[in-house]
Amino acid sequence: MANSWWSVCCARLMSSQPEPMSVPRISDNNASRNLFRVLGERWLNRRAPRARAITLNHSRLFILPTRAGLGFLLVIALLWLLATNYENNLVFALTFLLVSMFAVLPVHTFANLSGLRLQLLGTRSAFAGDFAEAEINVSREGKRQREWIELSWPREQGSHVDLCEHKSVDTCISLPVVRRGRVQAPRLRVESRFPLGLFCCWSRIDLDVEFLVYPRPVSAGPLPLGGATAEGDFGEVQPGGDDYAALKPYQAGDSLRHIAWKQYAAGRDLYSKDYERKTDRRLWLDWNLLDGRDSETRLSNLCHWVLEAEKEGIVYGLRLPGISIGPSFGPEHQQQVLQALALYPERGR
Amino acid sequence: MVSSKELLPRESLLWIFAAQFVALLPQFTQLPLWVAFAWAFAVYWRLEVFRGRRDLPGRTLRLAVIVLTITGLALSYRHWFALEPMIALLAISFTLKNLELVSRRDAFVSLLLAYFVSATLFVQEQTIPYALYGLLCVWVITAALAAQLGSSSARPRRALGISVRLLAQATPLMVLLFLALPRLGPLWSVPQDTSAGRTGVSDSMAPGDFTELSKSTKPTLRISFDGPIPPPEQRYWRGLVYSEFDGRTWRQGFGVDPHNGGRVYWKTGERLLPQMGPRYRYQVIQEASRSPWLFALAQPASETQGVGETADDRLVKRTPVYSRFAYEVRSWPRETLQAPVSLSNAERRLNLQLPSFGNNRTREWMASLRNQGLSAESVSTQLLAHFNSAFTYTLKPPALGADSVDEFLFASQQGFCEHFAGSYVFAMRAAGIPARVVAGYQGGEWVSGEEYLLVREYDAHAWAEIWFDGRGWQRVDPTAAVAPERVRNGLESAAGEEFLQESFFPLHRIGVLSKLRLKWDMINYRWYQTVVSFDADRQQNYLRRLLGEVSPLRMALLFAVPTLIILLGIGLWIARSANGRKLPPAERLYQRFCQRMARVGVRRRPGEAPQDYARRIASEKPQLADYANAVTAAFEQAAYGGDSSAQKTLRKLLRWHFWLRRTATDSRELVGL
Repeated sequence: MANSWWSVCCARLMSSQPEPMSVPRISDNNASRNLFRVLGERWLNRRAPRARAITLNHSRLFILPTRAGLGFLLVIALLWLLATNYENNLVFALTFLLVSMFAVLPVHTFANLSGLRLQLLGTRSAFAGDFAEAEINVSREGKRQREWIELSWPREQGSHVDLCEHKSVDTCISLPVVRRGRVQAPRLRVESRFPLGLFCCWSRIDLDVEFLVYPRPVSAGPLPLGGATAEGDFGEVQPGGDDYAALKPYQAGDSLRHIAWKQYAAGRDLYSKDYERKTDRRLWLDWNLLDGRDSETRLSNLCHWVLEAEKEGIVYGLRLPGISIGPSFGPEHQQQVLQALALYPERGR
Repeated sequence: MVSSKELLPRESLLWIFAAQFVALLPQFTQLPLWVAFAWAFAVYWRLEVFRGRRDLPGRTLRLAVIVLTITGLALSYRHWFALEPMIALLAISFTLKNLELVSRRDAFVSLLLAYFVSATLFVQEQTIPYALYGLLCVWVITAALAAQLGSSSARPRRALGISVRLLAQATPLMVLLFLALPRLGPLWSVPQDTSAGRTGVSDSMAPGDFTELSKSTKPTLRISFDGPIPPPEQRYWRGLVYSEFDGRTWRQGFGVDPHNGGRVYWKTGERLLPQMGPRYRYQVIQEASRSPWLFALAQPASETQGVGETADDRLVKRTPVYSRFAYEVRSWPRETLQAPVSLSNAERRLNLQLPSFGNNRTREWMASLRNQGLSAESVSTQLLAHFNSAFTYTLKPPALGADSVDEFLFASQQGFCEHFAGSYVFAMRAAGIPARVVAGYQGGEWVSGEEYLLVREYDAHAWAEIWFDGRGWQRVDPTAAVAPERVRNGLESAAGEEFLQESFFPLHRIGVLSKLRLKWDMINYRWYQTVVSFDADRQQNYLRRLLGEVSPLRMALLFAVPTLIILLGIGLWIARSANGRKLPPAERLYQRFCQRMARVGVRRRPGEAPQDYARRIASEKPQLADYANAVTAAFEQAAYGGDSSAQKTLRKLLRWHFWLRRTATDSRELVGL
């Protein structure tokens, strides 16, 4: 009876997500199985809600002694024993001095972070498998100098900030990203062990950091110049499109742009397309060119081609099922195309 | 995140070495010299590693070093369970840790060890200079801890500044804990510092011993009286009784000391105290002597823990006095007491014992006196008259041969207190009168207007006690027969030119300096009284005076009240600091306006412009339209126009009575009254 009641409770807790989220959170992949983790996250979400600018205060800050702090307590205990056994008042005084210092320390550690303002300035996109970077501004009010503040995503190398002379500092923190799409970063950990390293004060804040992650570029051979198919799948025939007469076996010396990629990709031999007219210089990076592969691989290959085309200065367009971006060139175009690739809906997952 | 395995930067290393040096420096004077060299070498090696000229020592080398140092310790110290080898072991482990000082964790371990090493300093000495030095140690070690974070914290001024601030803030709580936290007795017996030799009066007396003591100006006892003060000629601080004589040396004899069978009354109430109250109540603070004997006026009783009374009216401590020790004494002068009935046979035998041969001339003289049938008093009077007739009191008596008593009494006739006391007791015993030599201190010097009596090493004295049937043991000081000023005014006046002649700097001749010395002694005394000797008893007394009575409730209040005040302060500060920037005055006034409007039902939407808000108020509560418009106009002028008169207007508009008057005319329910 009790067991079933418990399992019902757990199931309810597990099924109800902390907040409706349309985008996947990296940290929630496996952790959602852990009841305590979920409860903790829910509690944190209530206590320290998401915002792009956050001032650290007592509701967000936590403080505990570090391992060195526990060692310090051990030394205090040993000193107390020494003092008691030798009935030595100066050792007692020293012991109590250290005890009092231990009591004063958390106030300093806390003050080092309290009132600190963190603001997300922007994020930089990245390719899956690479590091995405967030630019964060850390600033202080008042006269108190802030020292040795660590910003990090847990288990990753973070960055360390001092606010002694300056009142405001910008810093970059990177997070490894694995999957393409919009990725919500986990809570950022802000911590400080100032002044003696015996206490650690930390906060886990959600600065609403969201990365746009492009597919991982995977090479799929040279650019498919002139290889665009006009099968009418998308009902959009390129004006002035080239009709090719026939396929002929590939011979050394044939232009790479004339290779029949689709056939090659389907596993047949290498064929060259025999054109009757001059080929179109514009490049279409087409979903259908990569038939036979799973969608993620296709996106990765297309991503690689986009980068190649941009590098070689070729005007290119993108065709995905339901999306078509006309041929163009330049960083903005690339951005647009890569975003389309990043946000292409997942299938079969 | 900074991993704990991160390598130590240069400044971090230097700080650690500085902290170690400060903590070890006073220990170096006590430890074998090679320990200091080992430490310096380890530091040198570690710095070479930092420069990249050398590698950290490998495992075999480290093992060899450990074996070598342990062997060194074993050779340097015979006893393991003592204080010095323990400190040496700490210092050595400190040194060896330098050879594997790699990570941040190692740095922490090393610095925490440094705190402990600096505490062992206090176990050896608790004087003011040591206390100040200990404070310096804590200061530097804490700064070194702060510097471990690196970057700007590692700069010397910054690190030392942080350290001072932390220690200063910790002091009030420390004082409270020191005063109020209950003390337990020792949990187990601990090794004591046995390296230094015993000082002061020893358990035997041979000619020349007291002459040695007379050369030292070291303070021994500090005595403060509560109530009447004995006159100078009564200030005999008894410490030891010698009953056994072998022809040259006086010893305590069998069955006197507690460890060879002597009866000691450890507990109060074990021994019957006299009916009437004691004449003298006083506290004695005794310097470390490394022997168990305590010093008090005749017929003492003490309630201090670990102090017992012996059958021959002395005080002894259960364990030797390894560090300054304070004890409370009550004394009943013998003449005020009922005489003890009789001397037991064993005691009579002990106090009549003489070597079987030697000093025949004295024996013959006394035998003749005894045959005349003289009483004990008259024998004593004759002997003292003999001393008074021709003897000289001197710090430089001539050496005596085998029949020391004969030579002194009939040939040299020059001597110091031990000569007079020894030969007097010998002679009385030869006359068949039980007698014994008593050693201790006599006299003392007042410090700072009779606050306490300072007894120095050169006040060491030996005198005699003889048994009168019906009156018991009576003190006789043969020295007083020769040099009465010794008893009245102390050694300096009695010995004259000879006093402290051999000291390298005759400082006692310079008046200002001896005054300064007394001043310094007084500071030391106060330090000892207030800090060093603060024990559970005094704590109880102090708390009783502070709280009225020591009950759990009041103790809880003593801790809770300051804690609550501090917590309240911190809470207020947290609440203030978390609010971030303070809004400009106009904004704050406007906020108040918004709150009031929210109370009557028109809440300002997030991001709503003041003008829009005023319009909305006007439409929802038409009766407040004028007011809202006036406030909004004043606010906009004050906030954006920088108009100070507009701010005044705004303030006036928001005054409580103004608001009440306005709303009262409209509708009372608006404000929810």
